[in-house]
Amino acid sequence: MMTLVHDLAAADAANLESTDLAGMGSVDIDQVIAYVHVGTAKLPGYLELYRRYLRQRWDVYDLDFERDRSDWAAMAPEARSTFLAIASGFHHGERQVEVELGPLFMGIPEDYKIFLTSHLEDEARHTVFFDRFYREVVGVPGETILDVLDGSYQWISETFVGPFGLLSYLTDQLRRDPYNPTLLMRYATTYMLWIEGVLALSVMKITLGYARDQKVLPGYYAGFTATCRDEARHVQGGMRYIRELLDQDPRLVSELHETLRTLLALSSTSSRYVLYEPLGWSEDQVRHLIMEQFTKKMTMIGVDVPPDIKEMLAKIDPVLAGG
Amino acid sequence: MSTSEVTADTAVAALFSPAWAQAALEAVNRGPSPAARAKKIDRYWSWIDEVRPRVNAVWGLAARDLEGPNCLLLTIEAGVVTRAEVVDLDDGRARATYLQVGDVDAWRQLANGYDVGKAVMYRRLMLEEGDVLLFFRTAYFWTESLAAIQEIPATAPPAAVPA
Repeated sequence: MMTLVHDLAAADAANLESTDLAGMGSVDIDQVIAYVHVGTAKLPGYLELYRRYLRQRWDVYDLDFERDRSDWAAMAPEARSTFLAIASGFHHGERQVEVELGPLFMGIPEDYKIFLTSHLEDEARHTVFFDRFYREVVGVPGETILDVLDGSYQWISETFVGPFGLLSYLTDQLRRDPYNPTLLMRYATTYMLWIEGVLALSVMKITLGYARDQKVLPGYYAGFTATCRDEARHVQGGMRYIRELLDQDPRLVSELHETLRTLLALSSTSSRYVLYEPLGWSEDQVRHLIMEQFTKKMTMIGVDVPPDIKEMLAKIDPVLAGG
Repeated sequence: MSTSEVTADTAVAALFSPAWAQAALEAVNRGPSPAARAKKIDRYWSWIDEVRPRVNAVWGLAARDLEGPNCLLLTIEAGVVTRAEVVDLDDGRARATYLQVGDVDAWRQLANGYDVGKAVMYRRLMLEEGDVLLFFRTAYFWTESLAAIQEIPATAPPAAVPA
């Protein structure tokens, strides 16, 4: 199987950590994705991740989309169509992971609460990033954030409700019972492991790889690559938290597995065809990306993958979304 | 998914009436219209056809702020609705395997074509009873069944006028 996830040298990781928004345009997305897995034998602490956030925070209003507009107009219709199918999953996905964080604050460790404030702010900024892209580049009108979300809803798959609806319902259960370890494990598996750690870090590579290789959409590339670096912190914090839950009660691994079985059952179909070829990808390559990201996350948390879950993963037809 | 308007026509069943419940039973068992099927790819409908025989549950759909019987209960055996009734929410809560609850406004919007995916993700209908993981293993069966129900022409109580 071809390797689509790259390893990252320590020097590159150090450089990536200190790059500002202006430098994001020249950062390779493969390095950012690999950055998630640097030093996973000892995941960074929540306060260290919070300090990284303070150093890496970027202003979404500093992005300039002027060249993106002309690039977008010049793209082939087939490429624009595939791009919209994927980017819209993130437009809505970022909104969803923003609004679903609230109830998690109550039942997590105190240091994680500090870091989670930055996670929440990141997700709001990512939602605004896509709001700006859809308004200023794609040309979706609207007075409010929701107007623009409604405008791009036409491009997302009906199966988006699978993982993101599950997250919404799990969040509501957590709101009613915020200290329940079973619910916390189900929630963290859905949100941090699957949506952020597997889906987002796989699917974001498709549009970013296209923008990088075609040398187009520089505002989108810079903003979404910075978004990817933010996600790296969230995933590291989330994997640390899952490890802690398992340390406290190893029996919770069954909840993790059951949640994955549900997510994979939902991810074995799609309601729309997406042609990846206009962006330089194939369905098999995307499936391999997802399998590699999944394997790396399971390694990060030190959990074996049962054979039936491996079989389900091999048949995945993923929702093209993330958050 | 539906574009039908809630109508004032008294010949049309009221939401949460026995006639509407019977129409819901028939709509879920009938499945999507050819036009609705054509909007999504075969792989998606095959997934639903595959999970449908495994669905054995009492599915509750309720409007918490509707006066009188306000919970539709559909008894589903091997994916076929065999019984439909409208009961009080407390009764529905006690009997439903899965209970999704919204307010009257949400049901009015659904009957006017509000997207069923948004109804879940934007919290217009919440799962108040049932194992959420088991519910989602057959998620698209539920969303398409809800889409079939929302196609039923129905009247709803008038929206409250702000004081």
